[in-house]
Amino acid sequence: MLGLIGSRLLQMIVVGLFLTFATFVLMKLAPGDPVKTILNIDDVAVTQAEQEAVRQSLGLDQPLVVQYTEWFWRVVRLDLGESYITHRPVADLIESKLGATMTVTLGGLTVMLLIAVPLGILSAVYQNRWVDQLSRLFSLIGVSLPSFWLGLVLIYWFAYQWRLLPSMGNGGLMHLILPSVTLGIAMAGVYTRLLRSGLIKSLAEPYVRAARARGLGEVRVIIVHALREGVLPVVTMFGMSLGSLLGGSVVVEMLFAWPGLGKMVVDAIIQRDYPVIQGYVLCTGMLVVLINLGVDLTVRMLDPRLRWRS
Amino acid sequence: MSKNHPALRLGQWTVMISMLFMLLAGCAAQSSGPQASDGQGFGQSSGAGESAEETGAGAKSLTLLFNFAASSLDPASDKKFISIRAGVTETLVKLDEKLGLQPWLATKWEQTDAKTWVFTIRDQVTFHDGSKLDAAAVKASLERGIAQSKSLAAALKVESIQADGQTLIVQTKEPNPVFPSELVYPFAAVINVKAQAAVSDAPVGTGPFAVKAFTPDAEVQLKRYDGYWNGAAKLAEATFKFNSDANARLLALQSEEADIVYHLPYESLSVVQSQPSVKVESVSSLRNHFLIYNMQQPHLQDLRVRQAVDALIDRNSIVQNIMQGHATVAVGPFHPQFSFHPQSEGAVYDPAKAKGLLAMAGWTADSGATGKLTKGGQPLTLKLVTYQGRPELPLIAQLIQAEAAKAGIGIEIQMVENPDEYLAEKTDWDLALYSSLTAPRGDAGYFLNSAYMPEGALTYGKANLPELTRLIEQLNITVDLAKRDELARQAVEVIQTQLPQSFIVHPNMGIGVNQRVINWKPGLEEYYLLTNTMDVK
Repeated sequence: MLGLIGSRLLQMIVVGLFLTFATFVLMKLAPGDPVKTILNIDDVAVTQAEQEAVRQSLGLDQPLVVQYTEWFWRVVRLDLGESYITHRPVADLIESKLGATMTVTLGGLTVMLLIAVPLGILSAVYQNRWVDQLSRLFSLIGVSLPSFWLGLVLIYWFAYQWRLLPSMGNGGLMHLILPSVTLGIAMAGVYTRLLRSGLIKSLAEPYVRAARARGLGEVRVIIVHALREGVLPVVTMFGMSLGSLLGGSVVVEMLFAWPGLGKMVVDAIIQRDYPVIQGYVLCTGMLVVLINLGVDLTVRMLDPRLRWRS
Repeated sequence: MSKNHPALRLGQWTVMISMLFMLLAGCAAQSSGPQASDGQGFGQSSGAGESAEETGAGAKSLTLLFNFAASSLDPASDKKFISIRAGVTETLVKLDEKLGLQPWLATKWEQTDAKTWVFTIRDQVTFHDGSKLDAAAVKASLERGIAQSKSLAAALKVESIQADGQTLIVQTKEPNPVFPSELVYPFAAVINVKAQAAVSDAPVGTGPFAVKAFTPDAEVQLKRYDGYWNGAAKLAEATFKFNSDANARLLALQSEEADIVYHLPYESLSVVQSQPSVKVESVSSLRNHFLIYNMQQPHLQDLRVRQAVDALIDRNSIVQNIMQGHATVAVGPFHPQFSFHPQSEGAVYDPAKAKGLLAMAGWTADSGATGKLTKGGQPLTLKLVTYQGRPELPLIAQLIQAEAAKAGIGIEIQMVENPDEYLAEKTDWDLALYSSLTAPRGDAGYFLNSAYMPEGALTYGKANLPELTRLIEQLNITVDLAKRDELARQAVEVIQTQLPQSFIVHPNMGIGVNQRVINWKPGLEEYYLLTNTMDVK
């Protein structure tokens, strides 16, 4: 167990290094730099010489390796630098957005679980009955709907027609509902199907028959015995969803004016705000490694076979 | 198999699950209850929550929804100018409705020699923290801004600043005749640099509203500053929200969640007008959509080819069919409202004239049935670059493409992500459909210098027009406003005859306003959105 954690922490460093270097190189290969944005050429008449001076003062004329090394040494000293555009420390920027992103991630996952768990169990238990057909249809629709459309439809009905919920902003539980539902519905389809197939497989296992033979109630058989194995692929998938959601969900953030990481990094990429992009990639990369570690540990806890093997 | 042992019936499952949902719904309703009742929820007069205790029930407030989000309120780094737009900060000089310069925090100014400007700072003005605005405070604020922002430094070109009582003396590095107009630039807004709060979260300015709370990229909550020098605001509170999705903004206007909504999509304006509780203000903007000719391309160096393309642009059709009437035809780079706008005739859509010009330039229809123009066996094919950022640009490009095809010119449209980088670095393009605020601070100097001087930042077409360069150099040392206007008019005439670009339309801003908002009109400059005089019924 400790070995696993140790190797994952090592992996985190390797992943962080690789990700940030790859992003750095890719961003530099793409045309453009932040100089025009910093000088705000849309509003101020600047000369080429002034642009060159800014480029030099930021070290953007240095070779790529030098620029990366400089950034890297600062990170080693726990300094992510500051945004070229707003001059805010990158660590503060990420911290201020991470809370909002986590809130909407948890909201989305909660909605997803509320839909997927009952529907998945029902469709497995009543395989090929009407409830299964209905859930299949629902899953298909949920997966196919583009989230910006779904979000707009939800705003139309809940904020405009019925005036029940606010359509934008981050101000409390009411504000969280629409973004969460938009995210949750989009994910629920996949999870429903995943849980269904996992459960169908485990319900056919001999230990389920043994449990029934011992006279256990059907609910206990499904929830305690079958679900424990059936949920394994869902947990793995859950880790991946959590990782991608924590990276920010741009569409939902734009639509609901939700101040999260996704929109922050898209803006940073457009403006070529390198310190922000690098800081974001480093933080989310590490988060994803940590989440995967959490998933592995959970799977070990749920599946005794893995523990015996080690 | 499980279906052989359904100990629980399907119906029982359904009942259990619906009970679970009801339980959860109950929780949600419970926790939202108190929020809704203290007014922190939502609705047209949101933001009244805490203030209900401070300012008494029924305090007037409104919500303005803007298309750009700000992640900092620092006037010296926020490219969205939110602190000016939300009425938190003010500049020394402002633009009036006719886009002329007006005193604001400065009452008057004069130039004593080529590089020296003397400003008198308005007396009796206080910052939101109660401290007095004097020349020393302005000096500290400007010096901070220049140190923070290379953009502001490039605009002001300040060498040194001296403060004495209410008198501010500025020395510039080089003659900067547009110095007062550059002070309109929101980056030059005056803040109290001695204030405790972080400038990025709560700049302490002199405007009618002080920042109550700021959620980066979501909203600014504002409260009235009772000591405002020009008469305390009629509104007790205001919320300045951001949403970059046009459809979401439209729905917020229709649901009355926002009272004023900026930049509604053109196609939605007629729908909005049909709702009795809101009205649409369609205001001409200082923006200009125009076509840049790449003068490095040999075939475009021929003036007749550029004139032909210009004659193929059906500007009236663009205004009527693409912009749904919410635009004005552009005659030259500058808005007709400006005093330096020449009284010349606009370009005329004339395909026959275009064909004649092309024939004179040696482009003749090939012998085949295609009708394509060729010269020396080479077809006339142009690559037009544009971008999605302004949704009407690709549509205008298609219209030009269709008209050009009728005249035998092949146009290939390419969409790019970042037009500024593409046009500066690549040389393979012929035409670029671009958009710019041509006189953001009421002076022609910005665009003329950026787009036509060899070292400018917007010289994508690389036009080399010595006559124009000479006029701009002269403009850059001329202070007298009437003479500046005259020089700018002459420059525009050169541009109109030499055609380094074809100016097409000034798009309107579509602004939705709830009928309960009174004493408010959107300005062309788009700088001063929340004001002390605006009110709600």
